[in-house]
Amino acid sequence: MAADWEEIRRLAADFQRAQFADTVQRLSERNCIEIIAKLVQDKKLDVVHTLDGKEYITPAQISREIRDELYVHGGRINIVDLQQIINVDWVHVENRASDIAKSDKGVQLVLGQLIDDTYLDRLAEEVNDKLQEAGLISIAELCKSYDLPGDFLTEELSKRLGKLIQGEMDQYNRGVIFTPAFVARHKARIQGLFSAITRPTPVSSMIGAFGFQEHLLYSVLEELVNTGRLKGSVVGGRQDKAVYIPDIYAKTQNAWVDSFLQQNGYLEFDALVRLGIPDPSSYIKKRYKSNKLLFLRAACVGKALVDQVEASVEEAVNSATWTDIQPILPSCLSMEDIGNVDQPVLGGTVVVSEKFISNCLSLFDEAMQQKAQKEVKNNPVFLITEDDLKQASILTESSAPSKKEKREAERRKKATEGSGSVKAGGGGNAREIRIRKTKKKGRRDEDSDEETGPSHKQTETPFMAQEEIVAVLEERVSDCPEEILSELAEHLVRPLTKAYQEVLRTVFMSSTSSPSGEEITNLYNNIRLFEKGTKFFSDETQINVAKHVLKTVCTDVTNILVNFLAADLMMSVENPSSITNEVRKMKILGKLSEETKGPLMKLHNCLNGKTIEDFLTNLEICAEVCGFMLKKGDKKKERQALFLHRQALTEQLKETEDPALVLHLTSVLLFQASTHCMLHAPGRCVPQIIGTLTGRIPTEQQQLLSAYQSLVVKQLVSQSQGRKQEEAEGEAGKTEEQDEEARSVRTQLMALTPQVKELVLSQKKTSVTED
Amino acid sequence: MADEATRRAVSQIPLLKTHAGPRDRALWPQRLKEEYQALIRFVEQNKAADNDWFRLESNADGTRWTGTCWFIHELLRYEFRLEFDIPVTYPDTAPEVAVPELDGKTAKMYRGGKICLTEHFAPLWARNAPRFGLAHLMALGLGPWLAVEIPDLIGKGLVIHKERQRDAAAE
Repeated sequence: MAADWEEIRRLAADFQRAQFADTVQRLSERNCIEIIAKLVQDKKLDVVHTLDGKEYITPAQISREIRDELYVHGGRINIVDLQQIINVDWVHVENRASDIAKSDKGVQLVLGQLIDDTYLDRLAEEVNDKLQEAGLISIAELCKSYDLPGDFLTEELSKRLGKLIQGEMDQYNRGVIFTPAFVARHKARIQGLFSAITRPTPVSSMIGAFGFQEHLLYSVLEELVNTGRLKGSVVGGRQDKAVYIPDIYAKTQNAWVDSFLQQNGYLEFDALVRLGIPDPSSYIKKRYKSNKLLFLRAACVGKALVDQVEASVEEAVNSATWTDIQPILPSCLSMEDIGNVDQPVLGGTVVVSEKFISNCLSLFDEAMQQKAQKEVKNNPVFLITEDDLKQASILTESSAPSKKEKREAERRKKATEGSGSVKAGGGGNAREIRIRKTKKKGRRDEDSDEETGPSHKQTETPFMAQEEIVAVLEERVSDCPEEILSELAEHLVRPLTKAYQEVLRTVFMSSTSSPSGEEITNLYNNIRLFEKGTKFFSDETQINVAKHVLKTVCTDVTNILVNFLAADLMMSVENPSSITNEVRKMKILGKLSEETKGPLMKLHNCLNGKTIEDFLTNLEICAEVCGFMLKKGDKKKERQALFLHRQALTEQLKETEDPALVLHLTSVLLFQASTHCMLHAPGRCVPQIIGTLTGRIPTEQQQLLSAYQSLVVKQLVSQSQGRKQEEAEGEAGKTEEQDEEARSVRTQLMALTPQVKELVLSQKKTSVTED
Repeated sequence: MADEATRRAVSQIPLLKTHAGPRDRALWPQRLKEEYQALIRFVEQNKAADNDWFRLESNADGTRWTGTCWFIHELLRYEFRLEFDIPVTYPDTAPEVAVPELDGKTAKMYRGGKICLTEHFAPLWARNAPRFGLAHLMALGLGPWLAVEIPDLIGKGLVIHKERQRDAAAE
């Protein structure tokens, strides 16, 4: 027990000892870190702690480790990798690495990588191996495979060229290294290939086809061309569009052009372009400086050819014919080019002389005249419409002659000036005309329906359709191709139509403007004589006769006058007598000018009056207005008129067989013979005439006449009855009777007619002898 | 409970074998010997780890223990007296450690400056009785309590470093 306590005391002492024993003076980890941090902060210690914070490292150690790592990694190491290996902050690694790169010439810092010379040497050796294998190696490729910048590689490799690398760098393009053998091979290929080329070849296509190195090719090619090994030239520099043109090609090209020009006399630009001459006209100009070539739009023509064409044209002009220049000219010349030749050109290639055209025009003169006559004849005024009249007036106003003169003057000028620019103008003119023609043709087609009738369109009375003209020309002008004829016809249509208008006008004038003063005077005198004749009759008969005179002769005179005036308006008719009362008044008089309108209106109204005197006075006034001189007939003239009238009547009598007319004429003649007065009386006045004759002619004649007259009356009556019966479809018996009667009357008349005729004809002779 | 370092420290303290209180005349010396050995071992251990933080000594029969303990906060050493008696029911009941200086300064203290050990400590002790001894009491009881309470008290200004106290007094 005591031992226990003893031990306890000892243990207690041990415990105290243990407690008061020095505690181990030891710095804890965090104290150490704090101390070092303090030291570093005070710049008393230069160390760097690792990223995990467990170690401190001195910069020198970093440098040493970097060098070691560089060596271990074969001379090339990325700083990022280094940082991971050394496990120090990146900034320190980079600083040390750049220090190393600066201080050590054998080490470089490229793209964040440390690279030393041994690595570069090894790289150069590798490159050399590849180069020897491939013959050519591009820096760009190396850049890719070694992941180094091109400039750096170029610099480093060029340092080692000739030492470690058996090859050379292209002096123009520093991106490529090749071996002399490769260059030689290349050169040989280029030499062979370009020697074989005979035509211009784009260099770029050669590169594509044969896989040349572009840069090498150009330099070699230049060298070869300059040394004369290759006969040719490179055009277009060192670009894509560079073209190699062998001399032989240029030579053959020139030879071809020369020979073509020599043989054919012309050069087609298209052909030159096909040959590969890019700018033909300048090429030609350069090549044929001395030769004077005529440059056209698509070709140029030599002097010989021009002369030839000129000669043939000259000939055509001189011989007043046409000539086709197509066979002379090369086919390649365009129409325009041909058009540059003088004279009107038809069908594109045919030259026609003006004379030929005018000859052709003259071919139509006769036909034109005939047609005009016909046209005037069936040209009734009935169809005159308002429009026509307007057009007519316009036409008359625009005085065709002046126009024509102008045209003629033009033509003359052209003819005298002969060659040169005016000709082109002539061509243009012709074309213009042609255009107008086609327009007109269209219009005419539209109107053709109307015109089939005998219409009277003054403005565009077509002479002939173009086809007709062609047909006529075909007849007259031999050996002309069809198309030329048609074109010629087209050319002619307008002049022809113009000419035709003229002809038509003249014919028209000649037919209508005849009412000379003389004619009117004659009629006037006749009317006066007729008036005298009426005086022999009683009042009633006198009025009848007067009316008849007014209706016939006076109307004629009026019509002539009116027609004369109408002719000025181009709406007269060929036969004035065909003008009816209404037409005269409504259509023509309405259009006349005021000063002529009034008297003529009065004259027209007199026609419906009863006395001839009124008419005569009005006629005198009208004649004055219209500018006619009315001469009052003297005795001699009167007698002449009488004679003419009788002559006319006897002629008529001789020919007629109609009993009524025979009676009429005979009585009138007898009246004239007995009274020496002209008579113009209607048929129904015949009894009165015969009545007045009583006592002036021998009785037997008188009897004969009355007998004849009664027979005529009978016949007329029976005829009118028969007509009535036919209308009424009467019985057959009666008809037979009447037929018989009529027959007998007819036979009697037949027997008497010669006698009655004899009355006058024999007397006439005597009277003639008497006179 | 305690932090990892404490656990490790505790695990290195030899466990006691003898189940005997101060009343047990026959076995108490035996138990006392084991206590001393454990304490020596713990102190040596602490010193080796540069973590010496208390002084202890007992009366002759080893029933009353006195000493000092200190805590270093912000490079300043705060030292307190400590005392405790071995209860009769020891080792089934843990002794109550008292820091009289801090009496009334903190809520985690009974009257008389006895510290309130954590709620974990009592069951732990009970579970490990009689193998836990005074060394365990120091490591698992007083140590953690100081680590928690002293910085708090310093922050509250209830505990002031002695030198400062002196300075303040001088001023």
